[in-house]
Amino acid sequence: MQCRELREIADSYLSDELIVETNHDVISHLEQCDDCRRELAARRELNSRLRAAFINAPENQMRPEFADRLGIQLHEQALGKRSVPVVTRQRTLWLALAACLLLAAGLGLVVVRHRMSLQPVVHEVARYDQTPTYSPELNPGMPVNLVKIELAKSAAGDHQDCAVHFALAEKPIDLEVAGRKYDPVYINLTKAVLSQGNTPLDAELVEAHSCVFEGRRFAHIVLRYHGHLVSLLVTETDRTGETNGAPSQTLAQQQVIACSQFDGYQVSCFQTARHAVFVVSDLPEGENLSLARALAPSLYAHVTHTESAA
Amino acid sequence: MFDSASKAGSQVEREAHWKTFETEAMPYAIGLYRVALWLTRNHAEAEDLLQETLTEALTSFHRFVLGTNCRAWLVTIMYHMQSKRRRSLSRLQLVGDAEERIAETVAFVTPTPQNVTDEEVLAALESLPRAFQEVVILADIEELSYKEIAAAINVPVGTVMSRISRGRKLLRGSLAKYANSHGFIRSAAQRISDSTENQ
Repeated sequence: MQCRELREIADSYLSDELIVETNHDVISHLEQCDDCRRELAARRELNSRLRAAFINAPENQMRPEFADRLGIQLHEQALGKRSVPVVTRQRTLWLALAACLLLAAGLGLVVVRHRMSLQPVVHEVARYDQTPTYSPELNPGMPVNLVKIELAKSAAGDHQDCAVHFALAEKPIDLEVAGRKYDPVYINLTKAVLSQGNTPLDAELVEAHSCVFEGRRFAHIVLRYHGHLVSLLVTETDRTGETNGAPSQTLAQQQVIACSQFDGYQVSCFQTARHAVFVVSDLPEGENLSLARALAPSLYAHVTHTESAA
Repeated sequence: MFDSASKAGSQVEREAHWKTFETEAMPYAIGLYRVALWLTRNHAEAEDLLQETLTEALTSFHRFVLGTNCRAWLVTIMYHMQSKRRRSLSRLQLVGDAEERIAETVAFVTPTPQNVTDEEVLAALESLPRAFQEVVILADIEELSYKEIAAAINVPVGTVMSRISRGRKLLRGSLAKYANSHGFIRSAAQRISDSTENQ
């Protein structure tokens, strides 16, 4: 056995997963080779180090009170003292969140109706406290309100509540199902993202679904990019001026990426005739924009092709 | 009288059932929590997932064969519970080609670095694509066999073997960058290179 061969199977040797004969070959080689012995010792040491570091990492520890509660609950279940499964904390949170949203929606409706009766018209953009940052140097010639602030803000909010905190009022559904039910653009959208010829290799697909945030439905594809969660969101824009001047397709394809920032999230976006596409993350502005630009061509092609077929 | 005796007997059986479960399964709760945390990336969800897993395990404990690996059995249940919790488009089934390509870009033999900190080891683990992180955690931290990992994550054993090998190789490569930056492994790398050339 050569050193190179040994190092290729060294991990299986360390995991005790080799057949007896190969194991014997490894041992024979190790008896005569100092370098491989050292290398195996180093790998074994690294494995131990990794295990200890991971097990002892403070962020990986279970809360003692949870462990105690869990033990008691399971014991009671074993003794038949609980006939109904315990509602978990997460589900409780969902129920509480849903109840709060219902209450807030009801109150909001009352307030809005009251205000509308007092104030006839308020300029839409002026309502927002958070004025988006805009980078003309990154987007030469881009109109600031290419995609309305409200829409970009919703995209940032959806990213935060859905991809980061899993805290949506309505349960997300499968993207393909949503495509058949709500918007054909969602069908094969994941494939369009994955088939990017120029997608950065280290962008990992984490999740793809359709979710609703503040009453707006999105196709939501979550990527992990440079250790950050990145949301790619596609939503249909209505034809009542919501997107305020859709660009021609050629223009859109070439340079339509705008930047905003909400709650610490970067939002890059472009739009087609009937859809707005957002890339949202906590990456630095330039990096978020680069990723959006890398994803844009095949996404744009997919969305516009589906729009024209519909 | 009969009912009372029967009920008392049932209680004794239940207590015995719990004792066995407590002995066999509960010692793995802490490790299972780490796996749950890795799967969900969220403490509240990890607690829920662990609770659901152990509740299911307790209900199905009559199916567990004493003497086999209880930790692997529990991890398999946890993956099943997680796949039920998550939507049909599972994150782990979606990763693939890109990660394989990343792994292929790693040097053929990366000398194993030494003198790196725990933080660097954890950062290197975190930097791995999830499919590789998963098998490295299950194999090297939770100490499951290739076969047990394959059963838990529902992929062929060969895939597990390949991912572990590539995952560890990526990990070593990532750590080598740290070590190189500290000047720790330059001599080791040179030695490996020399010995390879001599063969």
